[in-house]
Amino acid sequence: MSTWQDLVTASLIGTERAEVPAATVPGLPDRTEAVSDDPAVLLLDRAALLTVARRGGTLIRPTGPAELLPAAEPDQASAVSPAAGRRLGRMLGGEHPDLLAEWLTAAVARDRRVPAHLLPALLDRARRVSPSDPELRRLAAEAGGSRARWLARLNQDWAFVTAHTEADEDAWRRGGKSQRRAYLASLRARDPVAARELITESWAAAGPERVMFLSVLASQGLSLADEPLLEAALDERDAEVRGWAAHLLARLPGSALGRRMAERARGCVRIDAGVLSEHLVTSPPVQWDNAMRRDGVSPRGGGNLRQLDDRTHLLHEVLARTPLRTWTDEFGRTVEQILAVSSGAWAPVLFTGWSRAAMAQRDQEWMTALIDWALAGGQTGTLFGAETLRQLARRADPARCARETTATRAAETPPPVRDAISVLRFRYDMLKELEL
Amino acid sequence: MSVPEAKVSSVAERWDRERVLALAPDAPSQRTAHSLASGRAWTATGATAEADAVWGECRGSAPAPYRAVVDLTGPAYRCSCPSRKFPCKHVLALLLLWSAGSVPDDATGPPDWAGSWLMTRAGKASRAPSGDQAEPKDPRAAARRAEQREARVASGLAELDRWLCDQARQGLAASQQAGYAHWDDIAARMVDAQAPGVAERLRALASVPHSGPGWDGRLLEEYALLHLLAVAYRRQADLPGPLRETVRSRIGFSLRQADVLASGQPVRDYWQVLARRDLEQDRIRVRRTWLRGRKTGRDALLLSFAAAGQALDDSLTVGADADADLVFYPGAAALRAAVLARHGGGTVLPDDGPPEGGTIAALLAGYAAALAADPWLDSWLAVVEVIPARAPVPAVCDADGGGSLPLHPGAGHCWPLFALSGGRPVTLAGEWTPRGLWPLTAWDETGRAVPL
Repeated sequence: MSTWQDLVTASLIGTERAEVPAATVPGLPDRTEAVSDDPAVLLLDRAALLTVARRGGTLIRPTGPAELLPAAEPDQASAVSPAAGRRLGRMLGGEHPDLLAEWLTAAVARDRRVPAHLLPALLDRARRVSPSDPELRRLAAEAGGSRARWLARLNQDWAFVTAHTEADEDAWRRGGKSQRRAYLASLRARDPVAARELITESWAAAGPERVMFLSVLASQGLSLADEPLLEAALDERDAEVRGWAAHLLARLPGSALGRRMAERARGCVRIDAGVLSEHLVTSPPVQWDNAMRRDGVSPRGGGNLRQLDDRTHLLHEVLARTPLRTWTDEFGRTVEQILAVSSGAWAPVLFTGWSRAAMAQRDQEWMTALIDWALAGGQTGTLFGAETLRQLARRADPARCARETTATRAAETPPPVRDAISVLRFRYDMLKELEL
Repeated sequence: MSVPEAKVSSVAERWDRERVLALAPDAPSQRTAHSLASGRAWTATGATAEADAVWGECRGSAPAPYRAVVDLTGPAYRCSCPSRKFPCKHVLALLLLWSAGSVPDDATGPPDWAGSWLMTRAGKASRAPSGDQAEPKDPRAAARRAEQREARVASGLAELDRWLCDQARQGLAASQQAGYAHWDDIAARMVDAQAPGVAERLRALASVPHSGPGWDGRLLEEYALLHLLAVAYRRQADLPGPLRETVRSRIGFSLRQADVLASGQPVRDYWQVLARRDLEQDRIRVRRTWLRGRKTGRDALLLSFAAAGQALDDSLTVGADADADLVFYPGAAALRAAVLARHGGGTVLPDDGPPEGGTIAALLAGYAAALAADPWLDSWLAVVEVIPARAPVPAVCDADGGGSLPLHPGAGHCWPLFALSGGRPVTLAGEWTPRGLWPLTAWDETGRAVPL
């Protein structure tokens, strides 16, 4: 409306120097007769009239052909329950963000998808944390379904969504590291044998990418068939590659590394019948050798083991890599029975060592028993024990710990235990909602 | 190893998480509170068994722990941290812990540092005068005060009109160089003149010269509407009653809600709670809740206010229906209402479901009609069936391709709206303003309301 623009121009200059233009509104009688001889009043009067007339007469812009977006393909999977969606919203808002990957994994496993309106926050989060956790991007893309791919076309920031779904052999041959990782991970999920062969034949030329190979092996489908590759990697020069290989072999039930560890560990912990009551007798290793180093056990303080602390550290490292069946077989007792035997001042070391082993080997029976033991007041030690309990509460099957999650808020409960209970309860509810 | 017997203490009524988070001054505070709400950071937490106080010490960056205490009856908060946010993240985290049942009841009562503060609070509360202070005691004195106020407002608005004319005379071009004081000074004079509604409009103008292309037109619009308001007040004797009420309420003559409820005609309906928007004005948080009656088709706007640290009224949930009697405030385009009574509390109403989205043309026609009655009306309930579009600016298009309207530039990318639509029509509720549509609620494919 040109009269409005004329008024704006006059108001910018000021009525001391500019004429006040006439204002007409189509369909209204001409109201330009002066009600005041002050041009400033006249300007404001006319501006008020036109302001209201323009607001009331807002015109619809015709929709241009470029404006409408192609519609997203419908999704086969259905959205999660409203309760699960609300919890995901809370997690994206900052509550237990470290459990996001578990939520997404559980949703993907049940073939359910993220509610559409939460996708922008989820994709933003996956983009931000990604360097430390490539898994989260993959999970977000998968749980986001076709709507996430549709959004990724609108916002460059989320391009990783389609990068993951479109990783093909071309990405492997010509792509950057993250694309190669994406291809390898999807091949591993589809065809573990082919993925292993690809790693084996690429190994010699891979250089620093070897760590990436091992992290893909770690993320899914680790089996004894991977052992020869990993055992050979123990002799690599790169310390990070050796560390990964030792870590994965220790996780693998029935590996030779596990048997070697069990050999070392057996002498260190035994049950003594005692005079009044039986107890666990613990004697940490007295020497460290190259064979232990090859298996990923590194000493503290240069390996001369003069201090008891250094030997304790070594025991802890060995326990963390020893197959847990070693203990039930050796003592001929259940996990609960073993943990019920008094271990005196060694309890914190045994707790953290066994907990690390249980988490690496994903042994739910041990994890549950260790949590039960800690929640019932077992001595987990100070900082290290509290951190271990924190991690256990994030990995143990919360349904098996359900008995404890309904328990206590007594004043004397130490903070780490209260924390563990609240995390277990949160995860229990979270997984229940995803079943709905 | 001996195991302490688990003690299950009686659980007093605890606030849920939503209620705690509603106290947060902003979203970052909510996030930091979450990360602090773990047992690791806190020592010496406790709550009274009657659930009227919670306290705790939190390890922060300073060598001494921060001490936070909450009087749950107020609620009132205190924390030894230097944060200027209120309540601070420590208080929020403490309340989150308490809400999750992670703060033990302490039969021995609060430690001294918390106890002394709680005692002073209790002392103040018992000294506070009881009864409704706002009730005028002496009708003659009240009439005299009202007369004085009219005189103050009249001279204040006359001064405002002279100021506006000065602006028009000298030209608005200089406003881009003017600081906030330019508007704050005249706003302060309007506060003195007891015209707070005008003061608030003036204060909001300081940001207009920096609001991008078209700022000059927007500033002229606001000056012109203020001029219109000043003229309308001067000639209020000539105005029809409802319009006079509108003018007076825009200036800031507020009616007491109790009087409105007592004198107005209640309208009973199944009110669909369609949208909600929280704003902050002068350290007061304002919640605007938009309703539409299923039977009467009438729109209503509920306002609720909260000072810093207080929670906003949360009794109406977006997406639900409320069977209630509303009373409308008098005015030319009567939108603002208050709840007189709710019926059948908590029961799900028979035809709960998404509202019917209209066309953009119908929205604009409704707004134009309301504007004819109240020319100062600058937000209007929009319920439309639209497809969101991105280019050239974020906009919504009629589902049948009729036309499009821009989204409000302040609403940002509105990604959740786009995600929800996936390029298909959605039912959308929001506020229509002269600068564009501010999206607030959309309904997903299962008919569930999603606040945006």
